[in-house]
Amino acid sequence: MASKTWLVFGRILFGVLGAVLLLGLVVYSEGAVTVYVHEKPQGTWVWVPVPALLVDAGLSFVPDRDLRDAERQIGPWLPAIQAASAELERCPDATLVEVKDSHEHVLISKQGDTLRIDVEDDSETVHVALPVGLVNSVAHQLQGADGPA
Amino acid sequence: MTRGLSVLRVRQLTLVVLLLAATAVAASAEDRWLHVKVDDSGGDNEMVRINVPLSLAEKVLPCVHAENFDGGKVKIQGNVNGVDLRQLVEAIRDAGDNEFVTVRDRHDDVRIAKAGGNLLIKVREKDGESKREPTTVDIKVPFTVVQALLSAGKDELDVTAAIRALRTQGNTELVTVNDKTESVRIWVDSRSASE
Repeated sequence: MASKTWLVFGRILFGVLGAVLLLGLVVYSEGAVTVYVHEKPQGTWVWVPVPALLVDAGLSFVPDRDLRDAERQIGPWLPAIQAASAELERCPDATLVEVKDSHEHVLISKQGDTLRIDVEDDSETVHVALPVGLVNSVAHQLQGADGPA
Repeated sequence: MTRGLSVLRVRQLTLVVLLLAATAVAASAEDRWLHVKVDDSGGDNEMVRINVPLSLAEKVLPCVHAENFDGGKVKIQGNVNGVDLRQLVEAIRDAGDNEFVTVRDRHDDVRIAKAGGNLLIKVREKDGESKREPTTVDIKVPFTVVQALLSAGKDELDVTAAIRALRTQGNTELVTVNDKTESVRIWVDSRSASE
């Protein structure tokens, strides 16, 4: 009897683990937005990884009023952002912009499906990585938010 | 009959070669990159590198609507004294290779010429009494690009059309500026990296 209970328990556990693993794979299949900030010297550091799928889905929970506000602010640039991200998805890996002086180093690059922004200066280090496709998708959602209040 | 077949085969072969050539041209046009490289060894040792696919610029610029830059066209500011730039450029294009403008004064030598389908502008600063190294500026723009740039209208420059025209060119050195501490280079090639 006990062995049968363990068998059922094992199957449930296996099923749950499989579901979690599958969910994780689906969630991360779209890439992740990661933000790393480190204040120097020996200051606080923050590392935030957010699956891109959650960012996309999360936007649908943002109140329409806030979305419209965001759209009003960056609205004129949305077509340019969409065109740039669509074109960036197509183009090969490259360092797009690099600015360096004796105090600061800024690097914007495309690696695979990810757009990376790295800033290193005397006071802090910032690394931001986001899937290029997410930029297009968010811009698309914001553009769709331009409805009646 | 055999001769007819061989003619047909030659035609097919020619068509295949033409298609391959067209594909190669299209592919090369797709992969053009604009590079900007600035090095300043004075002061903070500044360095700037920009590498942009021309296809990206061509798609993005028409979507930008700013004050003097609308839909990929920039309004010419200032007075061009009624000069029709388009007609001027077409007159130069139709003329043979030559030096059209030479200005020499105490400070600079400026030369504007046409050579091999390109508009060339050369500025040579004279060192005079200053101790710094004189600045040299070289600008080379293919005429097709200049024409495309001026294709919009009298008071407008069509930047998108110029980029489209630039994509059909080979590797092109557009701007080189050098002085003792600073160097600027802008060029187009098929590589995604500047170095």
